Amino acid sequence: MTNFIDYLLGGFSNGAVIALMALALVLVWRSTRMVNFAQVGQAMFTTYIALTVQQSTGNWVLALVVALLAGSILGVVVFFLVIRPVKNSDTTGAIIATFGVLIALQAGAGMIWGGDPEGFVPPVDNAGLEIGGRIWPVSLYDLLVLAVTAVLVIGLTLLFTKTSLGLSMRASAFNPEVARLSGVRVNRMLITGWAIAGATGAIGGVLIAPFSTISPNSFDILLVFAFTAAVIGGLDSLIGAVTFGIGTGLVISLVSGYSDSGNAPIVALVLLALNLLLKPDGVFGHHGSRSV
Amino acid sequence: MSKVEGVSKVESVSKVKGLQTFPGNRIIWHALIVGVVWLLLLLLNNNIDPLYSSYLALIAMYATAMFGMTILVGLSGQVSLGNGALMAVGGYVFALTSMNWETVPIFGWQWNAIWSMVFAGLGGVLVGGVVGGLAARLKGPYLAGLTLGLAVGVPAITNRFPELLGGENGLMLTVPYPDGGYAAAGAAASLDPGAEGELESTTDPGGDQNGELATDDQFAELDLSEFDQETDPDAGLATEDLLTDEDFGSGDQLADGDLLTEEDFGSGDQLGLDGTDIGTDIGTDAGTDIGADLNVDSDSLLDGFDSGFIIERWQASMAIAVACIVAFAALNLVRGRQGRVWKAVRDDPIAAAVVGISPSGSKVSAFVVSSLFAALAGAVFAQILSFIGPGAFGLGLSLSLLVGIVLGGRASLLGAILGAILLVWLPELVDGLAGERGWPEQITNNAPNLLYGLLVVAVVLAAPGGVTGTIRSWVDKARGKARSPLS
Repeated sequence: MTNFIDYLLGGFSNGAVIALMALALVLVWRSTRMVNFAQVGQAMFTTYIALTVQQSTGNWVLALVVALLAGSILGVVVFFLVIRPVKNSDTTGAIIATFGVLIALQAGAGMIWGGDPEGFVPPVDNAGLEIGGRIWPVSLYDLLVLAVTAVLVIGLTLLFTKTSLGLSMRASAFNPEVARLSGVRVNRMLITGWAIAGATGAIGGVLIAPFSTISPNSFDILLVFAFTAAVIGGLDSLIGAVTFGIGTGLVISLVSGYSDSGNAPIVALVLLALNLLLKPDGVFGHHGSRSV
Repeated sequence: MSKVEGVSKVESVSKVKGLQTFPGNRIIWHALIVGVVWLLLLLLNNNIDPLYSSYLALIAMYATAMFGMTILVGLSGQVSLGNGALMAVGGYVFALTSMNWETVPIFGWQWNAIWSMVFAGLGGVLVGGVVGGLAARLKGPYLAGLTLGLAVGVPAITNRFPELLGGENGLMLTVPYPDGGYAAAGAAASLDPGAEGELESTTDPGGDQNGELATDDQFAELDLSEFDQETDPDAGLATEDLLTDEDFGSGDQLADGDLLTEEDFGSGDQLGLDGTDIGTDIGTDAGTDIGADLNVDSDSLLDGFDSGFIIERWQASMAIAVACIVAFAALNLVRGRQGRVWKAVRDDPIAAAVVGISPSGSKVSAFVVSSLFAALAGAVFAQILSFIGPGAFGLGLSLSLLVGIVLGGRASLLGAILGAILLVWLPELVDGLAGERGWPEQITNNAPNLLYGLLVVAVVLAAPGGVTGTIRSWVDKARGKARSPLS
C-alpha cells in the first residue's frame, strides 16, 4: 500500500507536464481543428533555448520566460509558414506537414546543440522530501512543477471564461462563420490560439527537462502521452486535457513502479485504442464535436 | 451526387487510360513491364561496384515498403506512422523463423529463407489486420496519433520480451545465403571488414589499366588455370560459395579469381593488385576449407552470368526480387478495380457507400496490403543488416517512409520508387558535400533530416502531388486536361 501511494504521488508532476502538452494540443485543435504533431518538437526546441539561457546566466526564471516567448513566437511562425497555407481540403497534407515540421525541428536542434543528451539543472532540489521521518517521492521541484502548472491552468481558465479575448476565441473555435459575422477577428484568434499553445508547450518542456535529459528525440514519447491524454479528454476540452494529462501521468507512474517504465508506451497505446473504440468523442468531449 | 459520378468517371478514365489496346491483358502487360525492369536491374546490379549494389539493395527495400505507403497514404488517404513497426514485425518473424526452425512445422519441409519470407508476410498481414481493424474506425489525426504510438512503442515491445526478441540489443541473424554452407559465409561477412576492402577498391585509381583485361576471357581462363595449378585440388578450393565469396577475398585472391569471371571486374583494380599474390593466399585459404573439385566449379564460374558471390550483389538481387514481385502485385491492385475502390473511399466515403463499396472494408484492405509489403520489406532489411533491433525500426524509419512517399508522389507507385532513391541518395550526397567542405559531423548528420522536413512542408504546400504528381500535372496541362495531382 505504501508502494501504491508512493507511485501515485510520484506521478503527479509528470502528469502535470503531460497535461500542459495535452493543453497545447487542445488549444491548437480548438483554433484550427487539427492536431499539431510538431508540438513537442517546438517544445523541445524552446527547451534547448532555455537550456542555453540557463547555462549562460544561471537564471531559471529567465530561462522559463525566454522559453515562453520563444514558444509563442515559434507557434505563430509555424502557423503562418505551414498551417495557414495548407489547403483546407488536404487534411492528409496538413497532418503530413506537421510531421515535416517535427522532422525539421529535431534535425535543426541536432545541428545546433548536438545529439547527445544534456542535463537540465532544476532550480530547486529534485530529491525526495523528508517529512515525518520518511522520504516521500515528492521533491521540492515536483511541487514547483505543480505550482507552475496550476498557475498556468488557472490563468488559461480565467482567460477563456472571464475575458472578452477568451470569449472571442471560444466563439471562433465554436463557429468561425458566425463569430466572423459578429465582428470577431477570427484570423487573429487563430494566431492567438497557436501562440498560447506554443507558450504552454514550451513551459511544459522546460518543466519536464530536469526529470531526465534533453535530446532532439527525447520528447517523442511525451507526444504519445499528451496525444493520449488530449484524445481521451475529448480533444476540445481544456478540463479534459488537464484531468487526463494528470491521469496519464499517474497511470504511467503506477505501471513504471509495478513493472517497468519501458511498458508505459504500451499502456498508453492500449488506453488510446480502447478510448477511440469505446468512447470516440472522449470523456469530456461534446458529442459530434469531432468525428473520429 | 456529383461525387458518385466522380467514381464512375474514375473508372471510365482508367479504362481509357489503362493500356486500352489490350484491355483484357493488363496483367500480362504488368508482368512484362516488371519483368523487363527486373532484368535491367539485375544487369545493373551485376555491372556496378558492390558498394553501389548495397545502395541498390536499400533502395529496393525502401521501395517495397513504400509501395504499401502509396496504397495506404496515397490511395486510401490514411496517414500511418505504423509501417516502420510493421517492418519490424516482418524482420523479427524472419529472424526468429530462420534461426529457430529447421523444417516447416507440421509439413516438415526443409526450411529455407523463402519460407521465412512467407511467414514474415503472414505476420505482417496478421498484425496489419488487427491495427487496420482499429484504424478503419479512425480518421486523419486519430489514426496518425495511434500509429505514432505504435512506432514509439516498438522498443518497449521488444524490451518486454528480452529472451525472445533480444531486447534493446536485438538479434543477430545468420543470413541464409544460397548454395549451402552459409554459416561460413555469414561468419566471414561479420568478422571481416569486407566492406572496407571494397571501399578501398573503389577509390583505388588503378582501374583503367585493368579495364581491358576485364573483358578478356582468355585472361580469365589463364588466370584460373594458373590458380588451379597452384592449388592442391585435394586441399580443396572449397565449396563454390567459398570460392565465390568476396569476403573470403577481403583483399585476397580467391575472390579475385571469381571477379575475373565477371563482366564488370572492370572496376578491375582488384585484378591487377591481386594477380600478384594469388599463389600465396590460395594455399592458406584453401587449406582450411572443404575439398571440392575446383575444375568443375571453375567451368561453371566461367559460364555463370552471376557466378561471383559478392554479398552486396546477392543482397541487392534478393531485395530487387522482392521489390519486383511486390511491384507487380501493387501495379495490379492500384490499376485495377481495387485501386479505384480505394480512391473512391478516400475522396468521398459516403458516395462510395452509395455505390455499394464498404468504406471500412476498403480501409482495412489497404492497411493489410500495406502491412504485407512493409513486413516483406522488413524481412529484406533484416537480411541486409544481418541484424534486427528496435533502434533501426523506430519512429525514424516510419517518418522516413512518410517523407519518401510524400516527396516522390503520394499516389503513384513510380513516386514510391523515386522516394526510395531519394531516401538513400540524399544522405550520400550530403556526406559527399560534407567531406568536400569539411562540415562538422553535427551538421552532416542532421542535414538530410532538416532537408527532408523542409522539403516535406514545401511539397505539401506547393506541389501536393510530389515529383510524379507535379510532372503529370504539367503533362496534363500541356495536353489541355485538368486533373487533381492526387488522383
